[in-house]
Amino acid sequence: MVNGRQLHFHLAGINNQNFIMRDEETGSWWQQVSGECIQGALKGAKLKPILHDELTFAVWKRENPNGRVLRPDPKILQAGEYESADWEQKVGKMPVRVSQELDNTFEPRTLIIGINVNGETKAYPISALEKQSPIIDKLGGREIVVVLGDDKKSVRAFERTVDGRALEFFVRPDVSQFEMTDAETGSVWDFTGKAVSGELAGKQLTKISVLKEYWFDWKTYNPNTRIYNLGNL
Amino acid sequence: MRSKTVLWLALLSVVVTAFLFIFVPVWLIKPFSPQTPGDLATAFALKSWSPVVTELAAILTVGMTVWLWRNSKRGWSKAILIVPLFIVMGCVWFARQNHFEWMFNPLANSTYAKIDQTDFVDDDDMLMTVEINGESAAYPIRQMAYHHVVGDIVGGVPVAATY
Repeated sequence: MVNGRQLHFHLAGINNQNFIMRDEETGSWWQQVSGECIQGALKGAKLKPILHDELTFAVWKRENPNGRVLRPDPKILQAGEYESADWEQKVGKMPVRVSQELDNTFEPRTLIIGINVNGETKAYPISALEKQSPIIDKLGGREIVVVLGDDKKSVRAFERTVDGRALEFFVRPDVSQFEMTDAETGSVWDFTGKAVSGELAGKQLTKISVLKEYWFDWKTYNPNTRIYNLGNL
Repeated sequence: MRSKTVLWLALLSVVVTAFLFIFVPVWLIKPFSPQTPGDLATAFALKSWSPVVTELAAILTVGMTVWLWRNSKRGWSKAILIVPLFIVMGCVWFARQNHFEWMFNPLANSTYAKIDQTDFVDDDDMLMTVEINGESAAYPIRQMAYHHVVGDIVGGVPVAATY
């Protein structure tokens, strides 16, 4: 929605390996990753981002038993044109040819979790999260926690301040369904950020949007991004 | 110069112009190549004007072709007149196409399945998911990596899911 008008988008081009969409209504071009209009009548407008998750089916259906799932187009499915399950690995090997100078902190196609809190941005390499979850951090003046799900694929981030007190979390490694415990009260929290037992039962942590992205693209659109270092663990 | 030569040159420049309005944007925004902001502005301007420009080019081409046809005696020079006409008509057609959607068909009418009917996604497949006003919707990545953009209304809010 822009200025009270509903727009319909189509794939329309590529800008430095992030796609451009065109709206049917004005023919303007929009950058996919930023939601910003880059050419045409609506240039400068921005789509409002919606809090979303990137989860495995297993985790999502457990949390949303009444949800609905986009069906594949039968013709495209039959023709075998949908991407394969190892799609991410295949794209990871594709070349990166862009006009901006690449930052060589990581390989361009290193997968990171990008987080923006109050305009302050930070990249957390997935490999760091695989070694250390939860990651307890501070960003944009907020105390945050980044966690990897029990499927080792889904990632979420939360503000970890509850009733004015910042909590420290530990993830229990020996359980089949994600559980984390806060050091302050020993309450147990699930993957949706809800306390399910203990003193804080019923409390809900505020979710923060996370974006799973390639390092080069994140750095292009967030040039001042900070980087999470695992340190000498 | 003879008027016929002049007209042949004019015809050639009209055809080249129409072709450039089509080819340059395709070339500039092709995948796996770098783009500068100037490239994007050029591609957008040419692409936006291409329907009108190619139509004008078609009208001019038809006019010039008719004149040259009437004033040509040799069979081969008549036959060769088909070529510019063919190219310009091709440009008119292409100006109204979205070639990115040839490769990645848009999902015209998106339909959704309840979880117990979802047999097309494995447990460890990734989904993009939203929850708005109590309604939860999920867009499997393997489908989104193909369509790239799907419009939906979730919890009364129009959303564009993009990947």
